[in-house]
Amino acid sequence: MKRFPYWLKQSVKDNENFARTRGLISKLGLNTVCQSARCPNIYDCFSVKRCTFLILGRYCTRACNFCAVESKIIELKKPDKEELLKIKKAIKELDIRNVVITSVTRDDLIDGGANHFADCISILRGTGNSLKIEALVPDFLGDKNSIEKVVSSKPDIFSHNLETVPRLYSKVRPQADYNRSIEVLKFAKELDSRIITKSGIMAGLGEFREEIRSVMQDLRKADCDIITIGQYLKPGADCLDVEEFLEPAEFDKFSEWAKEAGFKKYYCGPFVRSSYTEEIWQN
Amino acid sequence: MAELKLPELAEGVNEAVVSFWHFKEGDVIKEGDEIVEMATDKAAFNVPCKISGILRKILVQEGDTVKVGQALAIIE
Repeated sequence: MKRFPYWLKQSVKDNENFARTRGLISKLGLNTVCQSARCPNIYDCFSVKRCTFLILGRYCTRACNFCAVESKIIELKKPDKEELLKIKKAIKELDIRNVVITSVTRDDLIDGGANHFADCISILRGTGNSLKIEALVPDFLGDKNSIEKVVSSKPDIFSHNLETVPRLYSKVRPQADYNRSIEVLKFAKELDSRIITKSGIMAGLGEFREEIRSVMQDLRKADCDIITIGQYLKPGADCLDVEEFLEPAEFDKFSEWAKEAGFKKYYCGPFVRSSYTEEIWQN
Repeated sequence: MAELKLPELAEGVNEAVVSFWHFKEGDVIKEGDEIVEMATDKAAFNVPCKISGILRKILVQEGDTVKVGQALAIIE
């Protein structure tokens, strides 16, 4: 029988906000990474009307082995402006103040979907309130024009997740490249020194602690401001097994290292996900 | 009398395994008490009871696989 350590338990919070958030997303036909990734934090987040919208459709052109988002390389839909207007509507109706916009990876599009990200940010700015936006982008195959497009649309946070340590890229995200991902963050900061950059990695995929420390150094060299580290959990039968459940104290150690490395903010804990914490938005 | 049913624990996950009952038959339950721990492939979840009452009958045992919507227990 499947057993999880005591610190990896969530509670079902099936309240009114949860039902409202989920109902609206479903009514509008929107995608969220919360649902596509089968995130165990969904009750915590939806019950306070926090969600991370997934744009550019629901199918990803890559097939990373940690991820439950469906992969498809043919008959993909073109970026749909309607999708963005629906997100705007959801944000208004739910009175969301801070939002993370992420996407599937669209290697089939010339711009990787960067213009759609930029359009999204511009449309959401039109909600009129002081909405804070984090753009959590794919690597755009390292395309500088695409990165520039998103940066110049001025999200409050520009985010790109490394996901794992370089040694495990071939196993975890074979179609990605560690140095390319570092470059994405570095280039964004070079374009706009005032933009806040952020990255996240998963622990428990078989990496050594020192490798995580070394990733922190690489991120700091790219002038990355914020890091998140959480426990990898296997989202589906086809995905990689968890190699190790790290104890909460190990994540505290990562926080110490992140502080030493000079990150402005760092969030490390078993259930920490890229967009799990509200504190990130506080100055 | 009400049935406590298994909610959907994560999107598209349609079953879960009973890990542990926090209460036994005959126990008094208050609304919001976490009554049973369930496990999916991805994580463990405590399921709260939405009403107060007495846990009259446990319908599924530890180790059983349960479908979303299936009754776990009867609360009276």
